[in-house]
Amino acid sequence: MENLIQVSNLVTGYEKNNVILQNINLSINKGDFIGIIGKNGAGKSTLLKTLRGFLPYSSGSVELMGKALTDYQQRELAMKIAYLQQQVELTFDYTAKDIVMAGRYPYKKWYQQQDDRDKAVIEASMEYTGVSDLADKPIRALSGGQRQRVLLAKVLAQQTEILFLDEPAAGLDLFYQEEIFRFCQELCRRGKTVVMVVHELNLAARYCSRLVLLKQGQILADGIPEEVLQDEILSNAYDAPIRAVTNEATGHADIFTEPSEDSLEKQQLLDTLMGKSVDDTAGEEHQENTNKQEGKH
Amino acid sequence: MVYHRKLVAIVLLVMLCVTVVFSLSAGQYDLSFWHVAAWVCQQLGLPVFQDVTTTAQQEAVLMFIRAPRTVVALLVGAGLATSGAILQGLFSNPLADPGIIGVSSGATVGAVVAISLGLNTISMFALPVMAFAGAMMAVFMTIVLATRNGRIPVLTLLLSGVVVGMLLGAITAAMLVVMDESKLQQYLFWTIGSLDYRNWEHVLMGAGPIGLGLIIMIFMARHLNVLALGEAEAKSVGMPVMKYRLILLMVSAMTTATSVCISGNIGFVGLIIPHMMRMLVGPNHKYLLPASILAGAVFLLFCDALGREVLEKTEINVGIMTAFLGTPYFLYLLRKHSNIE
Repeated sequence: MENLIQVSNLVTGYEKNNVILQNINLSINKGDFIGIIGKNGAGKSTLLKTLRGFLPYSSGSVELMGKALTDYQQRELAMKIAYLQQQVELTFDYTAKDIVMAGRYPYKKWYQQQDDRDKAVIEASMEYTGVSDLADKPIRALSGGQRQRVLLAKVLAQQTEILFLDEPAAGLDLFYQEEIFRFCQELCRRGKTVVMVVHELNLAARYCSRLVLLKQGQILADGIPEEVLQDEILSNAYDAPIRAVTNEATGHADIFTEPSEDSLEKQQLLDTLMGKSVDDTAGEEHQENTNKQEGKH
Repeated sequence: MVYHRKLVAIVLLVMLCVTVVFSLSAGQYDLSFWHVAAWVCQQLGLPVFQDVTTTAQQEAVLMFIRAPRTVVALLVGAGLATSGAILQGLFSNPLADPGIIGVSSGATVGAVVAISLGLNTISMFALPVMAFAGAMMAVFMTIVLATRNGRIPVLTLLLSGVVVGMLLGAITAAMLVVMDESKLQQYLFWTIGSLDYRNWEHVLMGAGPIGLGLIIMIFMARHLNVLALGEAEAKSVGMPVMKYRLILLMVSAMTTATSVCISGNIGFVGLIIPHMMRMLVGPNHKYLLPASILAGAVFLLFCDALGREVLEKTEINVGIMTAFLGTPYFLYLLRKHSNIE
């Protein structure tokens, strides 16, 4: 298997004395569909940004196709790795086509303009993600799912071997969520390499070829989904009781949380809130709420 | 919704022709609109729809008073609107404007220094050179104040612009204290933009830098499109963001400084024109910049001509006209944007 990215003993942080990633050892191979999973704040996005060269690292090494990441120019990097950020916030109402066009940027010298080849690539990638008929629509007029497809088309138009996607499915309708995973799976079968930050563990279990589980900036587990998605490992990573059960119908793991141990206490609190227990407390709370509302007006 | 770019282009071109004739016919010396229209056709060798005779005096008014004034208005309007479009795209902020990041006040300081030292009587290029130096100094100060770890956050940029503008305003005021009265008259011109008494020399002075600026900006449209998607997006496709921001800032500073030089400090054109055009043709700079050039030229020329027509016996400075027409629009913009948040 051809090795594309080799990470050894990587340590990084946004600022000094604030280490976010520690001892990261990772090798990414051609055709991998890697899902990076873990709790919020575990360092998933940081890892992606560091490997793309957006964030500096304090020690260790990252090699991209046999050359140190720091030896690449930004434009060269953009021809190797396409990166889709977590939330693309656009000030202006560009059309879908304008957005996809940006993907061709690294291939042009500063004085060159779009040519027929760029147009062909843009059309093909929009066709592939199914947004050709939206080409002249302003991006803000599109639904979340359509927008994400447009951004995916932009990333594809960049024609890179490697794709980094930071939670591309977040906030989308069920169908669109799964569709993104299907796109990526197909791309990986055709020789691309996808590294994706994922929140949807069930989808990750079904589609990713490999999962990297982070906890507090360290890799807790790295392997095929069946290896990583185990009760103990997950519960440790998420600091909560989690169970992974193989679904007979799909053959993949279903992940769900179990009620926490303090549930009895919670029941009592709920009783109080519902007014079943001491009436005084309920009265007081009601008073407080009214005060708050008055304060607002 | 789809943008009707061809329609907008045609409408703007028609408006340009009409406004040019309107400007040539507006003012105290009486010349009718159709008379001027026929004269323009004659001058350009076009078929004349109406035979008119123009006296030597009338022709002198047209050629040496109104024509240069009209051309200056077109140049300045185009320059300011395009600079505004560039700055808005550059910082992906629809409220950026040459006045807001201190470019205009920097140019004013440079110009006032030139006036108070009497440099403008030595060479006609002293004023534009000093204004450009002032504008660049202002931009430089603003950027230095706003840069954090090699990045320029939009909010700090705008705030730094305000601070630099205040400082430069104070410097200008301090110079006024020691300035003699004849020079004060010249200074007054800088505070309220005016196109009064513009002649072909001013056209000559402005055409080069503004024309060059416009050409560079249109050429950079592709880069601007990527920049306007925001810093993170621009970096993800491998753009050296800082470098392009600096280049574009310089070009827009040059264009603004030249405009300030030949017409004084005119506000709002750089803010409202690009914004309006963005709604009509979309934010793609390939279309937005040419549209802004046309619309800016038409708008400023119209304001100037209207200022000559509104009152009898006297005229209202174009800077006052743009402010009167521009403030309501700016307020509307502010309200609209605060609604979004």
